[in-house]
Amino acid sequence: MKCEYCGILDRESKAEILYQDDQVVAALKDTVVLPGQVTVFPKEHFTIMEMVPEDILKKCSVMANKIGAAVFESLGAQGTNIVVQNGLGAGQKVPHFAIEVIPRNESDGLDLQWKTKQLMEDEIESVFKILKEEADKIDLSRKENSKKDKIKKNGEEVIVKDGDTEMKVKKDKGENYLLKSLRRVP
Amino acid sequence: MNSTPQLTEEQRKQLEEKLKNMSPGELREFQKQQCIFCQIVSGKIPSKKVYEDDICLAVLDINPAAKGHLLIMPKEHYVIMPQIPEDSMGHLFFISRHLSQILLKSLKAEGTNIFIANGPAAGQRAQHFMVHLIPRKESDGILEIEEKLIDHEMIRKIKSALEGKLQEVLGVKEKSGAKKEVRKETVKQKEPEHFITSDTARRFHQEKCAFAQNIPTDKKIIMDEKEAFESEKKPCSCVTGKKIPLKREEEQVQSKKMPKGNKRESGLPDEKKEQEQEEQEQEEGGDISLDDIAGLFK
Repeated sequence: MKCEYCGILDRESKAEILYQDDQVVAALKDTVVLPGQVTVFPKEHFTIMEMVPEDILKKCSVMANKIGAAVFESLGAQGTNIVVQNGLGAGQKVPHFAIEVIPRNESDGLDLQWKTKQLMEDEIESVFKILKEEADKIDLSRKENSKKDKIKKNGEEVIVKDGDTEMKVKKDKGENYLLKSLRRVP
Repeated sequence: MNSTPQLTEEQRKQLEEKLKNMSPGELREFQKQQCIFCQIVSGKIPSKKVYEDDICLAVLDINPAAKGHLLIMPKEHYVIMPQIPEDSMGHLFFISRHLSQILLKSLKAEGTNIFIANGPAAGQRAQHFMVHLIPRKESDGILEIEEKLIDHEMIRKIKSALEGKLQEVLGVKEKSGAKKEVRKETVKQKEPEHFITSDTARRFHQEKCAFAQNIPTDKKIIMDEKEAFESEKKPCSCVTGKKIPLKREEEQVQSKKMPKGNKRESGLPDEKKEQEQEEQEQEEGGDISLDDIAGLFK
């Protein structure tokens, strides 16, 4: 069966597309927690967040932020909830990564508050140790590599800040345009 | 999470008075000083810091929904999401993705929830923006969200309400505001070219004005700035930029002249005015609502 969100793009569902560009889509689904809920998802099909490339994830989050701002002002929301259900165990219903923006009002009757789980001191300590150890391995410099790969694959689309990488992007772009024109000639 | 000490009635009144007199900048600085999470960021309050870089900090939540519940917060003090710059927002999600992966792998979580609450109405308790990252196991009962079916008419209504504002937001709000002002100024400066009126008209108009366009070419009288302002005719709202309420007299005069174009003619400027008013209201209303939400934490 086809993914529901990919179906939205092909106009196969009752959802209305609020915004789309070549990477990100914002849509109004017909099954929602509260009316006014906007679903932001990448155009390309990724099942869970871990599969979404950095640049697309960032674009999705920025889009969710902007929709949040728009919702405050145009739907008269008093607050918003941003929810990602990542994985079946987390309540994900459609196998396509998405960020839900839910407009909230004091009187909407929705209660998303969880109960605090009581943990033993040593449990906390062991979890902390495991997570810290793994988190220390997060290497932000690695993102440059993935970006370069992305550039080679997709051509443009990448926002890079510092001078060095920007140069690389431009070079890559140049190569790509050349390649494209080469392909066109024959 | 909230450890604000109990204040006596008098102290509370003093504080309220103090807050009232503060400028937005001072208020923000004050909030920052009071913010527990800013003190966690600076290390004044001890915490279990799992991850830290220049932009953000991830700590174990002291009131967790589950083992491994993380809070990812920007180091800078923001109360709600719309205040956060794009780069930081993207970075928070990027770090959340990394940490989510860790929760899935090393805690064998079956899924993760990212949860953000903006504003007390959404359940926000802390006065510092943060992303909750919660490791999940099936049927653990955390964040059970029920979905309802809504009809298509409703979806369409919401779409039309949201669309305009979203485009404004996407076009960077500040810039559009700045552009508007610039446009108004340039109009004022460029005006001294010429104005259009007719024998019977009570006002003189700019060339673009709907009234001017409805004057038949053979009846058009073109005046320069000096002539126009020295004449007996009054400037139209298109000239002054002020909104003058349309007088019936004028409509009548014009309708006598041009019965056919009457409807359009009297309709257009009204619509314009309404639009302008709406825009202004939206802008003002919008800013207030954002600040209000942020301000609720005082």
